Amino acid sequence: MAYLRKNVRTLTAGERRRFVDALLTVKRRGEYDEFVRLHIDYYTADGEDGLRAAHMAPSFLPWHRRFLLELERALRRVDSSVTVPYWDWTRDRTTASVPWTRDLLGGDGRRPDRQVMTGPFAYAAGHWTLREGVTDAAFLTRDLGGSDDHLELPTGGELRRALDDPVYDAWPWNSTVRHGFRNKLEGWGSGTGSASWHNHNRVHRWVGGAMLGGASVNDPVFWLHHAFVDLQWHRWQSAHRDGRYLPEGPPGAGDEQHGRVVARHDRLPPWDETPDQLEDVSRIYRYA
Amino acid sequence: MVVGAGGVAVGTEQRVTAAAHRPSRREAARGLLVSAAALALAPAVADSGPARPAGDFRGGAFDETYRGRRIRGSWVPDPAGPEAGGAWRIAVDGRPLHLMRRADGTWLSMLDHYTSYPTPLAATRAAVDQIGPRQRLRAPAPGPDGGEHTGGHTHMGGRHGVPA
Ligand SMILES: [Cu+2]
Ligand SMILES: [Cu+2]
Repeated sequence: MAYLRKNVRTLTAGERRRFVDALLTVKRRGEYDEFVRLHIDYYTADGEDGLRAAHMAPSFLPWHRRFLLELERALRRVDSSVTVPYWDWTRDRTTASVPWTRDLLGGDGRRPDRQVMTGPFAYAAGHWTLREGVTDAAFLTRDLGGSDDHLELPTGGELRRALDDPVYDAWPWNSTVRHGFRNKLEGWGSGTGSASWHNHNRVHRWVGGAMLGGASVNDPVFWLHHAFVDLQWHRWQSAHRDGRYLPEGPPGAGDEQHGRVVARHDRLPPWDETPDQLEDVSRIYRYA
Repeated sequence: MVVGAGGVAVGTEQRVTAAAHRPSRREAARGLLVSAAALALAPAVADSGPARPAGDFRGGAFDETYRGRRIRGSWVPDPAGPEAGGAWRIAVDGRPLHLMRRADGTWLSMLDHYTSYPTPLAATRAAVDQIGPRQRLRAPAPGPDGGEHTGGHTHMGGRHGVPA
């Protein structure tokens, strides 16, 4: 029986509390930090050698889908009523809207050290000490809206442009490809500065602090953001009935991408499933 | 964390720990190593600032104070020879900062993972922008042999123990 993932703004007070409590329990048991490490370990950039499973690659979507399922299982071992909610950043666009409330993820970081001071994940609340990170800060940091450069979240229009692309992904299957749904959604643009951040990447930038770095999983908004990204894959499939994960087969020996991307029927490390198996998860969960 | 193998589609009870599939030390180190082949493929980026000839990353070593922090960076060729490439070695107040290279020739740091910059210096400065007051980069974890990780980068992993 498939369970439901809901828009975080529709959660009842009880559902919010149970979601937060399950996260804190997974953190207390030490499991959460394993998720942070796993995500760091699988970040391979496309200007380097090696297989790219999680980012700058076609398997960006199935990798994070599988990663969320893993977290969701950990949460549901604690409380079987819990599922990962999603944050629709095209609608809830301000620092006062969900999920930045005291009963969910807490608010913005303070000046000048960006430390989150409110909600269950504030360091002072005693349940959320960072153990894996790029800096030695033990507290969660945020910089909502990038106070220095007044960044806006991606708009519904920008998301629509990704969804309208009928092709899943295209050669060279990395951060430089200019068409295809995957990179338009993942959001690698050309150049630097504000114009180069799109959709998924732009949201990491907008939240700032921990979410901007390699240890972005330290901010629980990571899951709400990626649940919404995952929902877009589902929407794209509904809009393009013939659309399938690409590449269908592995790039050949003469291709610069040989051995560097996960094809449709390849195993997606560190798991044993393939993108093909992860394209349809409707037996496991659905989006409300 | 326990990574359930085949859990999604099959729901088997077989379980594999994350550690079993953890990238090897060599794989982890590859984050810093840019092969000559990969660099040769990196196109010059027309729209990310002034055009630069491909390969000029080998120059441009820097040692300066930026926002009160000492930042140093230099290109360290691979001991195996020029064919094997090399790595940028970056330090902020003496602690190593891991840089990654994008296929368009730009650079990302561990502190600013979703934006890339035209040069290692620009990426390093952007990383410093993200370090709060009284914070430092985390000290590098000792490698499995007690020494530092290859290239001295702070992959943060280090403590790869998995709870039983
Ligand atoms: Cu990610
Ligand atoms: Cu992400």
